[in-house]
Amino acid sequence: CGGGTVSRDAPLDSLSAEEIYQRAELELEKEDEEEAARYFSEVERLYPYSDWAKRALIMQAFAYHRDRDYESARSAAQRYLDFYPMEEDAAYAQYLLALSYYDQIDDVGRDQGLTFQALQALRAVIENYPDSEYARSAVLKFDLAFDHLAAKEMEIGRYYLKRKHYPAAINRFRVVVEEFQTTTHTPEALHRLVEAYLSLGLEDEARTAGAILGYNYRSTEWYQDSYALLTGRGLTLEAAGDNWLTTVYRQVIRGEWL
Amino acid sequence: QAFSFTDVRIEGAERVSPGTILSYAEIPRGTAVDAAQLNDAYQRIVQSGLFQTVELVPQGNTLVIRVEEWPTVNRIAFEGNNRLDDEELAALVQTTPRRVYDPGQAEEDARRIVELYEQRGRLAATVSPKIIERADNRVDLVFEIAEGGVVEIERISFVGNRDFSDRRLRRVLATKQAGLLRQVIQRDTFVGDRIAFDQQLLQDFYASRGYVDFQVLDVSSEFSRERNAFFLTFNIREGQSFDFGNVSVSSDIPGVDASAYRRAVASDPGDTYSPTRVDTDVARLERLAIQRGETFVRADPVITRNAREGTLDVNYVLRRGERIFVERIDIEGNQTTLDRVIRRQFRTVEGDPFNPRQIRQAAERIRALGYFETAEVETRQGTAPDQVIVDVDVQEAPTGSLSFGASYSADSGPGLNVSFAERNFLGRGQTLRFEVTTGADSASSAITFIEPYFLGRDLAARLDVFYRIAEQDNTQYNTQVAGFSPALAFPVGENSRLQLRYRLSEERLYGVDGFDPAAPAEQDYSSAILEEEEGSQIVSSIGYTYSYDTRRSGLNPNGGILLEFGQDFAGVGGDAQYVRTEASATVQREVWNGDVLLRGVVEGGALNMISDDSQVTDRFFLSTNQLRGFAPKGIGPRDTAVPNEDALGGNYFAVARLEAEFPIGLPEEYGISGGVFLDAGSVWGLDNVDGGESTTDGIDIVDDDFALRSSVGFSIFWDTPIGPLRLNWAEALQQEDYDETQVFNLTIATQF
Amino acid sequence: CSPIYRNHGYVPTDRDLADLSVGIDTRDTVAAAVGRPSAAGLLKESGWYYVQSRWRHYGAFEPREIDRQVVAISFNDGGVITNIERFGLEEGRVVPLSRRVTDSNIAGISFLRQLFGSVGNFTADQLLGDD
Repeated sequence: CGGGTVSRDAPLDSLSAEEIYQRAELELEKEDEEEAARYFSEVERLYPYSDWAKRALIMQAFAYHRDRDYESARSAAQRYLDFYPMEEDAAYAQYLLALSYYDQIDDVGRDQGLTFQALQALRAVIENYPDSEYARSAVLKFDLAFDHLAAKEMEIGRYYLKRKHYPAAINRFRVVVEEFQTTTHTPEALHRLVEAYLSLGLEDEARTAGAILGYNYRSTEWYQDSYALLTGRGLTLEAAGDNWLTTVYRQVIRGEWL
Repeated sequence: QAFSFTDVRIEGAERVSPGTILSYAEIPRGTAVDAAQLNDAYQRIVQSGLFQTVELVPQGNTLVIRVEEWPTVNRIAFEGNNRLDDEELAALVQTTPRRVYDPGQAEEDARRIVELYEQRGRLAATVSPKIIERADNRVDLVFEIAEGGVVEIERISFVGNRDFSDRRLRRVLATKQAGLLRQVIQRDTFVGDRIAFDQQLLQDFYASRGYVDFQVLDVSSEFSRERNAFFLTFNIREGQSFDFGNVSVSSDIPGVDASAYRRAVASDPGDTYSPTRVDTDVARLERLAIQRGETFVRADPVITRNAREGTLDVNYVLRRGERIFVERIDIEGNQTTLDRVIRRQFRTVEGDPFNPRQIRQAAERIRALGYFETAEVETRQGTAPDQVIVDVDVQEAPTGSLSFGASYSADSGPGLNVSFAERNFLGRGQTLRFEVTTGADSASSAITFIEPYFLGRDLAARLDVFYRIAEQDNTQYNTQVAGFSPALAFPVGENSRLQLRYRLSEERLYGVDGFDPAAPAEQDYSSAILEEEEGSQIVSSIGYTYSYDTRRSGLNPNGGILLEFGQDFAGVGGDAQYVRTEASATVQREVWNGDVLLRGVVEGGALNMISDDSQVTDRFFLSTNQLRGFAPKGIGPRDTAVPNEDALGGNYFAVARLEAEFPIGLPEEYGISGGVFLDAGSVWGLDNVDGGESTTDGIDIVDDDFALRSSVGFSIFWDTPIGPLRLNWAEALQQEDYDETQVFNLTIATQF
Repeated sequence: CSPIYRNHGYVPTDRDLADLSVGIDTRDTVAAAVGRPSAAGLLKESGWYYVQSRWRHYGAFEPREIDRQVVAISFNDGGVITNIERFGLEEGRVVPLSRRVTDSNIAGISFLRQLFGSVGNFTADQLLGDD
C-alpha cells in the first residue's frame, strides 16, 4: 500500500517554492492535513527567505491544528511569531497558539493544566492584537475557558459536599464566589454555600449567602432552592426519587455521582 | 545633537521583514531623536538576536539601518561518535533546524556534549562545532567529536581501617576494581559523583554497625601515566562502635502519657546502634499517635553518649509539632482519568492537619492504581506560612488493550479470539474485561466488571460472567463450566478486608473414554472414578474471604504479613453440597538493610462433602506456580491401572514455599535479580477410590493418601516493559513415581 | 469486624481557647494563638469557624459522622472578638443536595475516543495467562 507515496519522498529541491506551496494546498483540499503540513515545512526549509516561506509557516500551523497535532501547531505558530511579529498574520498565529490549548480542554473532571495555558495565550491575543478580527472571538473563548476553570472548582467543591466534608466544600465555593464572580457558576456556588452552612448549623452565614444570591440572581432556580431551604420548606429526600436502584444506575452506569 | 528623520531605509534584511526591525527600533517618524535614543534603538535591534551585525547611519533626514542576518540552520550532523548515538546527542543540542544559527549557542551545545561524555567516564573527549556554507545564507552545523579512551580504576586501597579489612570494604564500594567484565559492567569507570556515592556507601556501612563518629577524612587519587587508569585511596577514621543504652519515651504534650507509646519502640538496650533503627522508631511512634487520634505529634530522639560503656541512651520526646494545614489538593495531567478517581485515594481532606505520612501513603495508592507512567505528589507553601498545597502531577499511561486473533490448528480447526480489557474504563477507575475465544473443541468467553468505589464508598463491587469449555492439558477428559458470580469487598479494620460472594455455575464433565470390553485390548480408557463422575451438576454457593494485610499500613516499614481465609458453602440450591475452605499465610521481611528479601508462604485447602462424592471440577489441583518443579496437575491421586493415567485431584491440599530474593551484582538498570526457593506440599484424599476398569471385578484401590513432594531451585527476576517476569528452574527432590515433573516455568513475579 | 474511626478538621482545645478573651483579642492574635479557621463566612466582618468531625467507617455501610465540634468566633466591625461559642452535630441539619449542575460548555471528547483512546498497553498476564 506504500505505492502511492513513493513520489512523496522524491527530493523536492528541484521544485520552486510556489510549486511546493501549491502541492501543499492541494493536499489541504484532499483533507490530508498531515501531508499538507509536511509540504509547508519543506517550503520553509528550502526557501527560508522567500515570501512563500512566511505564508507557508502560518499555513503549516493551520494544517497541524486541523490535524489535531497540537504540539507541532504550537511550535509552528511560535516560530511565526518570532520572525514576523508585525505581519498581519501574527494575530492569527497567536490565536492559533491559543486555540491549540483551548481545543484540548476536556470536560470538567479532567486535566485543567491546559485551561490555564489557554487563558494566558488568549490574553496575549486580546492584549497584543486588540483590533484584529480574532480579538473578539478570543475574548469569547477567554470567558469560556475562565468559566471552565470555575467549573473545576465547583466539581471539587461538590465532591467534598457530597462526602459531607463541609469546611473543604465551603472553601472551594468561596473561591468561586470571590475570584470567579463573572462566571455562570456563581449562583450555584452561593446556593451550595447555603446548603453547606445549613448542614453545619451556621444559620446566619447561610442567610447572608442566600441574601447575596437573592440580590444578584433572583431569577435563577438556585435562588428558589435556597429560598426553600432557608424558609424550612426544603424538598424531602424521597421527593428527589432517591431509591437504591436509581442511585446505582445513576452513579455506576451514567457516572453522575452527586 | 538631535536628529529628526522623515523616512527610514533598511539594507541587508532578506528574511526579517522591515516592519519587524522598525518594531524593535521604535523610532517615531518625524520627531526629534537624540544620540541616546538612537543607541537604545540599536541595542533593541541587537537584542532581538536575529542579526549578526547592526549599524544605524543617519544620512540627513533619512535613517539607514544596515543589518546582516544570521544564516538559518539547514541541517545538524554529528561525526566521530560511536559510544553515544545521534538521537542522544540531538536531544542535548538546543540549536534546531530552520531557526537562526547563533555561534554562542553552538559553543554551549558543544560543551554540553563534552559534559555527557564525562558522565560516561570519557574524560578525554573533545567536541568542536563546524559550519558548512549553503546557498541562500543557510548553513549546516556539524559537531566533530573525538571520544578518547575510557578511564578505568586500577586499584582501591584504605588507610585507617582497624575493624574491617580492605577486602571487606572494597566489597561495600560500588566501583569494583577493573575486573574481567570491564566492557559490560560500567561500574568501574572513574566519575566524580560516583566517588561521592562511594563515600555515602562507606558512611551507611559504618553507621549501621554503630560507628557514629565515622568520617572519610579525604579521598586521594593518582592518574596512571597512560591516563587510562586511577589509583584510589580512602583515608578514613572509624571511631568507636556504640550500642543502645536505655531507651525511653517521654511526653512534653499535656494530656498525652508516654507509657502507652513505649511498646511502639522496637530497639532494645544492647542492640547495635544505627540511625535507621532510630528513624524506624520515630516513624512507629508518630504512626501510633495518629492511630490514637492525636494531631501534630512529633517524636524527637534526644541522644546522650556515655563513651566508657560504649552505649548511647536514646529518649524519644513527644512534642506538639507546629500546626500546618492542607489548604488545597490540586491534580494535574489527568488527561483521561477523572479528578475524583485520584482525589478519593487521599484520606486527607482539604483543611485537615498536614500529615506527611498520609500524603505518602496516598501517593503510593495513586501509583498502585496502575493508570499512570509517573505520579508525583509534592507539597509546596500555600497562601499562608502554616498552609500547604499538595500538587499531584500525573502522566497517563495506556490502560486498555484490545486484541484480535484468528488461529487454525490441525486438530482443533479454525479459532477466533477477541479480547478487550480496560483497567480505567472511561477514566472512572472501573475495570471492564471481556474475552471471547472460539475453537473447534475449546471455547471460552468471560466478562468481568469491577467498580472499586460502589455507591461512592470504599466498597468494591465485582461481577464475573464466564463460560469455559476446556480440554484440560495432560488429561483425557473435558470440562465445561458456565455461570456468574457477583461479589462485594469492603474494609473491616485498619488492615483487614472482607469479600462476600455468591456463585452459580453449571459444571459438566464429558469426553471420558470409558472401558469398552468389546474393543481390542490396547485401547485407551480412563479410570472408573471419572466415568462415575461424568455428567453435569449445578453448583450454587455463597462464600467469603477475610484478608489481613499489613504490607502498606503496618508498623514495620520493611516487612509485612498477608493472611487470607475463605470458605464457599455450596448447597444454597443446586445439586452439589460441600464446604470448600482455602487459607494462605505469607510473611515477608527485608534483611541486611534492604538488600535481601525473605518470604515464607503456607497454603492449604479442604473440600468437605456433605452429600455424595466430590467431582473433579471441585477438587483441588496444584499449578506449577504453587509447587514448582511439577507439571500442572502433575501430582495428586492418579489411577495408574488405566492407560490414560489422568490426574484425579484431591479433596485436600497443602503446600509451603520458602524463598529468598537478592541482587546478583548486575547494575540496577538491567532490572535483573536472582533468588532461591524450596517448595514442599501434596494433594490427597478422594471419596471414591475404586479405580481401574469399571466393569470387571478387578477393582484396584487408587492411592489417595498423603505423600509429601518437595523441590528446590533458583529463579531469575527480570523487570521487562510488559511487566515483572520470573523464570524458575526447579529440581524435584521427593516425588511419587507416577508424578509428572517440569523443570522450567515462566510466570509473572507477584509484586509484594 | 471492627469499625474504623477517622478524624478530619481541627478544633482548638479548651485550654487554648481559655487564653482568648472576648473584647480584647483580634483576628491576628486569634490566628497566632489557635491557628487559622477551617471555614469562614462570605463577608469581611463575618465569623471564623473551626470544625472537627469524627467519622465511623463500618464494613459495607456508608461512613457516618458520629461526632462534630464547631467553634464559632464572631467579631465586631473593629475585628475584636464578640463571642466564642461551641456547638456540635445536633445543631447541623440534614440538607438534601440539589442534583442540578451548571453544565460547562466545553464538549467532552466522544465516547469512542475515550474508550479506545488509551488502548495500547500490553501486559504480561495476557501473554502468559494465569494457569
